[in-house]
Amino acid sequence: MNIMTNDMGGAGDKRARTGGSKTLGANSEIGRKLKQYYDGLVSEDVPDRFAELLSRLEQAESAQKKD
Amino acid sequence: MAVSAGFKNDLLAAIPSLRAFAMSLSQNADKADDLVQETLVKAWDKHQSFQMGTNLKAWLFTILRNEFYSQMRKRGREVQDSDGIMTARLAVHPSQHGVLDLEDFRIALEKLPDDQREAVILIGASGFSYEEAAEICGCAVGTIKSRVSRARSRLQDMLEIAGEDDFGPDAIAAQVMGSNAA
Repeated sequence: MNIMTNDMGGAGDKRARTGGSKTLGANSEIGRKLKQYYDGLVSEDVPDRFAELLSRLEQAESAQKKD
Repeated sequence: MAVSAGFKNDLLAAIPSLRAFAMSLSQNADKADDLVQETLVKAWDKHQSFQMGTNLKAWLFTILRNEFYSQMRKRGREVQDSDGIMTARLAVHPSQHGVLDLEDFRIALEKLPDDQREAVILIGASGFSYEEAAEICGCAVGTIKSRVSRARSRLQDMLEIAGEDDFGPDAIAAQVMGSNAA
């Protein structure tokens, strides 16, 4: 059974979202689930620690410049 | 030269994607956030080596990925060789309508070898081209393509779904009938 050659996605796009890559077939269940999984991660709340970290890096740099 | 405020804002904007990629790689929220933190520090230190106008997201993903593999090596964990690993078939059956549960999908994704999982995430979810993904992973475009193919075929196998595009619903139905009918 050849399940590795549906890359080119010739078989119509059903009701798929086509925002993502063509390669994993937005028209395949795998492609849809992959997007759903990843989009869920991307939309998680970002902890404050990262913005704080960047601010500290920025301050450290401007302090250094004054030396 | 000071890091421009623009660079800082670009880093901030990239954090959600970096966290998603880190989670996909490490499968662990604490490790993922540590990876993102390391990535931000390294990116800040190396910002002069970043060429404005090139793809910041790809550059950051490269740093994060390198950090992930170097941490794995430090922990003495073998970097997985995808060819040597047999993925177990999950006892997961798609519902009648062929719709997979997201949690089942996540479990299957976790069972992929690291190199295949990252390839499929970069291409199928993060929106990178094969060329960009190859650059991020430091390998040939053809290698990425074959990892994506193998990943997809393993996922289909683990989740017991046939290639819809090749067979269509009727063929799938026939398969189900063939294997399950008394």
